Amino acid sequence: MKQGSEMGNGEFKKFIIYSLFLGVLILPMVGFPGTHFEAKRAFIVWGVFVGVLALGMLNQVVRQSSIYQKTLGGPQSFNRRVTKQFQKIPVRHWTLILLAAVAVYPLLANNYMVDVGITCLIYIVLGLGLNIVVGLAGLLDLGYIAFYAVGAYTYSLLNLHFGMSFWLCLPIGILLGAILGCVIGYPTLRMRGDYLAIVTMGFGEIIRLVLNNWDSLTKGPNGLLGMAKPSIMYPAFSNSGLEWATYSLKSLHALYYFILLIAVLTVIGVRRLDQSRIGRAWVAIREDEVAAELSGVPTTWLKLLAYAMGAAFASVAGAFFAAKLSYTNPNFFIFMESCIVLCIVVLGGAGSIPGVILAGVLLIAVPEVFRELQDYRMFAFGLAMAVMMVLRPEGLIPATRRKLGLSDIETDTIGELEESYQAVDSRT
Amino acid sequence: MDTSSFLVQQLINALFLGSIYALIALGYTMVYGIIELINFAHGELFTAGAFIGLIVLAALQKYGFVQTHFVLTLFLVFGMAMAYVGVLGVAIEHVAYKPLRNASRLAAILSALGMSIFLSNGMMLSQGVSDRAYPALFGLKGITIIGARITYGQVFIIILSLLLMVALNMFVNWTKLGKAMRATAQNQVMARMLGINIDRTIRVTFIIGPALGAAAGVMVGMYYGSVRFDMGFIYMIKAFAAAILGGIGSIPGAVLGGMIIGGVEVAWSAFLPSAWKDVTTFIVLILVLYFKPSGILGEDVSETRV
Amino acid sequence: MRKMGILVLCLAVAVGFSSMAAAKTLKIGTLSPLTGPYAQDGTDILQGVKTAVAVFQKAGGIPGYKIEVIPGDSACDGGKATMAANNLINQGVNGVVGAYCSSATIPSSVPLNEANIIQITPASTHTDVTARGFKQIFRMCPRDDVQAWSTVKFLEDGLKVKTLALIDDRQTYTVGLTENITKFVNEDKKIKIVALEHITPGDKDFTAVLTKLKKLNPDAIYMGVYQPEGSLMVRQAKALGIKATLLSEDAVYHPKFIEVGGKAAEGTFLTYAKAPDTPERRNFEKTYKKMWNAQAIGSYGYYAYDSAMVFMEAVKKAGTTDTNKVAATIRDNTWNGVSGKIKFDEKGDRKLAHIIWIVKDGKFVPYWDPMTEKYF
Repeated sequence: MKQGSEMGNGEFKKFIIYSLFLGVLILPMVGFPGTHFEAKRAFIVWGVFVGVLALGMLNQVVRQSSIYQKTLGGPQSFNRRVTKQFQKIPVRHWTLILLAAVAVYPLLANNYMVDVGITCLIYIVLGLGLNIVVGLAGLLDLGYIAFYAVGAYTYSLLNLHFGMSFWLCLPIGILLGAILGCVIGYPTLRMRGDYLAIVTMGFGEIIRLVLNNWDSLTKGPNGLLGMAKPSIMYPAFSNSGLEWATYSLKSLHALYYFILLIAVLTVIGVRRLDQSRIGRAWVAIREDEVAAELSGVPTTWLKLLAYAMGAAFASVAGAFFAAKLSYTNPNFFIFMESCIVLCIVVLGGAGSIPGVILAGVLLIAVPEVFRELQDYRMFAFGLAMAVMMVLRPEGLIPATRRKLGLSDIETDTIGELEESYQAVDSRT
Repeated sequence: MDTSSFLVQQLINALFLGSIYALIALGYTMVYGIIELINFAHGELFTAGAFIGLIVLAALQKYGFVQTHFVLTLFLVFGMAMAYVGVLGVAIEHVAYKPLRNASRLAAILSALGMSIFLSNGMMLSQGVSDRAYPALFGLKGITIIGARITYGQVFIIILSLLLMVALNMFVNWTKLGKAMRATAQNQVMARMLGINIDRTIRVTFIIGPALGAAAGVMVGMYYGSVRFDMGFIYMIKAFAAAILGGIGSIPGAVLGGMIIGGVEVAWSAFLPSAWKDVTTFIVLILVLYFKPSGILGEDVSETRV
Repeated sequence: MRKMGILVLCLAVAVGFSSMAAAKTLKIGTLSPLTGPYAQDGTDILQGVKTAVAVFQKAGGIPGYKIEVIPGDSACDGGKATMAANNLINQGVNGVVGAYCSSATIPSSVPLNEANIIQITPASTHTDVTARGFKQIFRMCPRDDVQAWSTVKFLEDGLKVKTLALIDDRQTYTVGLTENITKFVNEDKKIKIVALEHITPGDKDFTAVLTKLKKLNPDAIYMGVYQPEGSLMVRQAKALGIKATLLSEDAVYHPKFIEVGGKAAEGTFLTYAKAPDTPERRNFEKTYKKMWNAQAIGSYGYYAYDSAMVFMEAVKKAGTTDTNKVAATIRDNTWNGVSGKIKFDEKGDRKLAHIIWIVKDGKFVPYWDPMTEKYF
C-alpha cells in the first residue's frame, strides 16, 4: 500500500513555492479593508501564514536532516519507527501510564483546565463514535452532531417532564439515537460515498431545525433549562443505621471523572468492536464493498449497524453534555460541530483509537491555549489543517491495520476472516 | 396585489435566487466531476470574488469612473473578480488538493475544509467582522410586469448568469479543452493514455469553476448591497445540494438543480409555514437521491449492485 | 548551519505569548462572541468595556488599583462560554461583562454564580437570565417584554395601525420579542395580526416572504431580526414596492443598518433606549471613535460601556471588591449611564422603557416616547 505521508523533495519545493504564491495572492484580501492599503493588518496576517508554513517546513527539514536520518529516520519511514517504538512497550503499560495521568490531572489543575479536560473528553467520545462510521465502515458522515443533539434532548425532556433520572434516560437516549441512526442510514445505503456527505449533512440540519421549530416540545430557540445533574447512590451510615445516600455529580471534578469513565468505556467498546468479526467486516466494506458482499458480508445490515453504534455513543455524550450544562439549545448543534468531530477522526487517523484521542486533545485544548491570539487562531488552524493533511494524509497516528499489506497477513488470519464473515452471515 | 401578479412575482424571485445557486453549483459540479472532491472552499472563493469586486468598485467610484463609463465598470469589476479568484482557485488546488490526489478521499475533504476555514477567517481578519456595504450601481428602480416588480439589477443579473451558463456549456461541448475536461471527468487513466494533459485540464477547471463562483459573488454583492466574510457558507450548502440534485458532474444538471432548489425555497416560503423552508430543501434532496441516486440528470454512478 | 538557521527561525515564529501579573488589580472579564456570526456585536461589547476603563481611569480611577480587561470568547455557544467563564474565574476577575447570546449567558452564569462573581449582561434579554434567583447577576438591556410593550404601545396609540405582520429569524432574542408582541396585541384586541413569518439568519434573500406579506397588505411589518438581515430586508421591501410601515428593534440599531440599507432604510422605526444628550455620552462617543477608529457605535457598545462603568463606580463607592457589598451597592443606587438612568430591581433587571426612533436623513432620530405619548 502506498505510504502517502512522505513527500518527495521536488514535490515539497513545489508545495512551498505555491504556498508562498498563495500568500501573495491573498494580499488584496488581507490588505485592503476599503480602498487604502493597511500594512499592519496585512503583515500580521502574513506573519501567521508564514508561521504555519514554517512549522510545516520545520517538520520536513527535520525529517530530511542528516542527524535525523541517522538516528530516527533510517531506511524506514518515521511512522513505522515510532509505531515500532510504541510496540516495544506492551500496550497495557502505556495505557496504564496514560490512565494514571488523566486520573491525576484534575487534582493538579484549576477549574478552567478541568473544564477544558471535560470538553476534550466529550469530543473524544464523539470522535470515537464517529470513528466507527467513518474510520471503520468508511461511510462519510457530515451530520453526526444530530445524534449528540438527540442524546441531549432526550435526557432534557425526560428529566424535565417526567423527572426521570440520568441513568434511566441514558439507555432510552442510546436506543433513540440508534433507531435514528438506522433511519438516517437506511435511505443512504444505495448512495455512494460523497452523496452520503450531503444527505447526512441534510439530516443533521433537519434535526437541528426540528428542535428549533418545534416550540411546544423543545421550547425552540429558548432552549431547555434546569435539568438535574446525574447522581449516584452509595451506602452510608447514619443515625438510623445503614442506608442509601445520594451524591450528586455537581462539581467539575466529579463530572470530569464521570466523563472519563464514559470515555474509557467507549475506548474499550470501540476497541472490542474493532477487533471483533463485525469490525473486520466493516473494514472489508470500507476497502471494497462489492468484494465484501461477494464474500458473504451482509453489507446492508452492517452499514446500518455502524450508523446505529456511532449514534449510540454520540447520544451518551449528548446526555452528559446536557446534564453538565443543565441547559441545552438547538444552536449548540450546528454543522460546524459535525465538521470538528470529523476533523478529530481524520486528523487523528481514520480507524485509529490513539489517533482520535490525540487529535481530540489537540483540536480542543490547543486552541484554548492560544486564546490570547483570539482571531488569528482559527485562521492558523484552517491553514494548519490543510498543511497537516498534505504532509500526513493518513493522520497523526495511522491505524495499524490499514498499513498491513497482504503479505503481512498470515494465512490463518485470512482463514479467520472468512470464518467470521460466514458467522456474521449466518446470523442474519 | 392579486393572485396572478403574486405568482409572477414569486416566479421572478425563484428565477433570480435559482440562477445564483446555479452559478455557484456549476463550480462544484465541475470540480467534483474532474477530481471527485467536494471543494469546501468554493463558498469562500465566492465570497472572495464579492470582496474583490467591492474593492475594485470602490476604487473606481472614488475616481468618478463609474458615472462616466458604466458598462466598462461592469466589465472591469466582473473581469477582475473572476480573474483573481480563478488564479486563487488554482493556487489552492496546488497547495491543498494536488498533493493529495492519490491519498484517501477523507484527507482531501479535510484539506478542503481547512482551506475553507483559512480563507473565511483570513477575510474576517482583513475585511472585518461586520457587513460591508456595496456601492449601489442599479438602485431600486425597476419595471412592472403584470403587477410584479423586477428591478434593473435583477434583470441584468439574470441575463448575465444565463449568458455565463450558455458560454460554459458551449466551451465544454465545443472546444478542445472542454472535450479534454469531459474526457478527464469520465476516465482519468484513459484520458491520460490518449495524450490529454491531465494537470492542465484540472488547472483549467479550477480557473473556470471558481471564476463562475466569483461572478455570482459580485452579483450577490451588487444586488443585495452587502457582503460579509461568512456569507459563502449558506450559499455553499445550497449550491452543493443543487449540484448533487442535478447529478454531480453534469452542467445542465447543476443549472436545473439550482433552479429547483431556488424554486422549492421560494414556493415553500410563499405558500407554507416559512420556518420549515430549509427542512424542505433537504427533504427534496433526500427524496430525489433516494429514488434516483445519481441525481436528476446525472449518469448512473451508484454502486453496482450484485 | 543553514538548516539550523531555519530551525531557529521556525521556533521563533512558533513561540507563544506569556501573560504578566500585577499586584493590586481590578480585573474585569468580558464574555462576548469574538468569533462566528455575532463577532461584530461581540467586538462592540469588548471595545465598549475597554473604552469605559480608559474613560474611568482618565477621570481618576480607583486609588491604588490598576484596572485590567480580560477578554473571553463565548462564541455564542454554551460549552465554550462555560469554559471561557471558568478561565476568567481562574484569572481572578472581580466582575464580568457578558455574555451576548442568552444561550451562552445562561450556562456561563452557573460557574460565575458558584464563584460569586458579579456578572452584568449588556445584551441577553431572555427572562431566565435573571429569573433563577442569582443575587450577583444584572441585566443592562431591557427585557423582551419591556421592549415589546413599547412597540405595541407605539403601534396602537402612535401609528394607530389596524393590521400587523411579524417576521422573526427563530432565534432566542427575536422569538422572545414576537411572542411578547403577539401576547400584548391579543390582550388589547386593537390590532389584528395577519401573519407570523420566519427567515433563516444568514440568508440574503427574503423576497419570497416579503411578497407573501405584500399580498396580505398589512399596515405595518415588524422585523424581529438582527442588523445584517434587517438592512437587506428593508432594501428588498422597497424594491418590491411594499408600502407598509416598517418597524424593528434595538438589534438593528447599528450604523451599519443605515450604511447598508441606504435610502431604503429611511423611515424605518426602531425601539431603542432613550439617549440623553449628556457630556458623559458625548465624551464616550468621542473616546470610542478615537480609540477604535470607528465611524459610529453599535447599540451594544453603549450597554457594555454602562455595564463596565457601573461595576467600576460601584467598586469605588463600596471601597472594596467584595462581591456581596458591590452587588448591594449596584442594586441600591441609581446610576447615570450613557443609555439613560440606571436602576436595577430585586431580580437585577433594569427599569428602562425604550423610546421609538426613526431613520431620517441617514441618522437615527428620536421620534416618540411611549411613556408620555409625546413626539420629540
